[in-house]
Amino acid sequence: MIEVSGLTKVYGQHKAAQEITFSVARGEIVGFLGPNGAGKTTTMNMITGYLSPTAGTARVGGHDVLEEPMEVKRLIGYLPENPPLYPEMTVSQYLRFVARIKGTPAAGRRADMERILALTGIADMRERLIRNLSKGYKQRVGLAQALIGSPAVLILDEPTIGLDPRQIIEIRNLVRELGKDHTIILSSHILPEVTAVCTRVIIIHHGRIVASDTIGNLSRKLAGTAGLTVRAEGPEQAALAEIRGIGEVAKASSMGSREPGTFDLRIQGRGDADVRRQVARALGRAGCTILMMRSADVDLEDIFMQVTREEGD
Amino acid sequence: MGAVFLREIQSYFQALTGFIFLGLFLFFAGIIFTLSNLWPPGSSDFRTTLTFLNFIFLVAVPILTMRLLSEESRQKTDQLLLTSPISLTGIVLGKYLAALALFTVALAVTGMFPAFIGTAGLVVRSELVCSYLGVFLLGASLISVGLFVSSLTDNQVSAAMLTFGAILLIWAIDWLIQALPRDRGAGLAFLSLLAILAAVFVFMTTRNVWVALAVGASALGGTALFWALRPAGFDGLIAHVLLWFSLVARYGSFSRGVLAVGPVLYYVSFCATFVFLTVRVIDRRRWA
Repeated sequence: MIEVSGLTKVYGQHKAAQEITFSVARGEIVGFLGPNGAGKTTTMNMITGYLSPTAGTARVGGHDVLEEPMEVKRLIGYLPENPPLYPEMTVSQYLRFVARIKGTPAAGRRADMERILALTGIADMRERLIRNLSKGYKQRVGLAQALIGSPAVLILDEPTIGLDPRQIIEIRNLVRELGKDHTIILSSHILPEVTAVCTRVIIIHHGRIVASDTIGNLSRKLAGTAGLTVRAEGPEQAALAEIRGIGEVAKASSMGSREPGTFDLRIQGRGDADVRRQVARALGRAGCTILMMRSADVDLEDIFMQVTREEGD
Repeated sequence: MGAVFLREIQSYFQALTGFIFLGLFLFFAGIIFTLSNLWPPGSSDFRTTLTFLNFIFLVAVPILTMRLLSEESRQKTDQLLLTSPISLTGIVLGKYLAALALFTVALAVTGMFPAFIGTAGLVVRSELVCSYLGVFLLGASLISVGLFVSSLTDNQVSAAMLTFGAILLIWAIDWLIQALPRDRGAGLAFLSLLAILAAVFVFMTTRNVWVALAVGASALGGTALFWALRPAGFDGLIAHVLLWFSLVARYGSFSRGVLAVGPVLYYVSFCATFVFLTVRVIDRRRWA
């Protein structure tokens, strides 16, 4: 459905996107993952025809973005990073305007709008001025705008940014629901978001694709990188020495003190080894009391470290 | 285009700039009418009033055009418009026509003034109609300049001030011309400068040195040829060229009640040029 090849955008000396190549099949939900400024938005802007690439091509539904922009634009519903809303309009005025510029058939417009208002949960807001809506509702109106005319492809740039946790879950469920009849690309800088919704992940860093894989494969690659975080009370050096003495521990390091009188350690097992019991006993031998033990968070930085290291190998 | 036009009209009244424009325009038009036609000694000549009306443009046009495109880029709603299946020309034209429509309404309301004078039977209809056409075309041209300026910035205030300055400059051209040198040497220097600027412009747009050099060389060659064949043509050349840009000079023929094709075509092509330039500015931003 979407084929992107060698897409590059250069601003003067700055390369916002370099040689981005990937394809998305019909019905897939693909997540763009990367920190802010990685090139996710630039790539999306090039696919939707808002920006023109310096080099490379993007095709949507078999149409080239540069050669047949109108055909491509008819296929895409786009929610940019800042929802493109006119604050002085009411929600229904705005959505009617969007329906007209998207050229949806006049006959089905009313029904289409009712369906989308209900789907995005903004039916009660239809007569409100967009100016007066909360951030969460504005985001939903932005999403509603992208859904007008049921485009085959949805491109959603950070759809949950600025929402509260409950709204985030609602939007995620909605996106998963939409994935049944739409091909979706969504971007995020939060890992759990992508793993919760997407079937496949494309990781972008410094304008390049550093990894592109299914969620399952990615988690397998990441297994073992996480390890444990332990908070304990007692002699820190003795504890480190005992833990490093355990055969299955690959690495143990001090993470300083986050609570007065305690210390935090980061411990990594060899491969998939579960070292919690050995660690607990080792800390006991060193005369320490365990206050907390949990799996360390896998954050984006770890993934990049992992992925870029593998690329280098 | 239709959807953009309707939204723009709607937004003029929801964001109040439409009311401010109509209010200011009609308030000052009323004052001018009262002072020049009703106040003793009084005059039945409405054309003078219309000529004075042109000065309202200085303030009214920036109000009308400042947010047309600047607000789209500030709110990022240009992302919606530019990723929708409508042409860029359609978007720009829709906005231009919306501003023009509001201006036409304001002008139509001032039509009651001469109708009022007409009840005393003192209006020459042909002169009046021509004068109105002149005011409309002049206003339409200034609005096209304002539209263009608002595509250059994402700040309404900057757009308004730049438009104000541009209109002031357009008024001032007629006076500035008198201060410019009129001898042949100055004319030659001016034309050569234009040739070089053309080459630079071509280079900026195409990034091709050879094409730019070819354009520059042929323009300079043309200047030399012109110099060799008709040196007298360089007398007062700067004034001639700048006068061609003077929107005000052409207004004169309308207020005399003469409907000539030349000035009408001139104004229409002036508007078309600025609408076209606006489209180019927005289109180029995608490639920046």
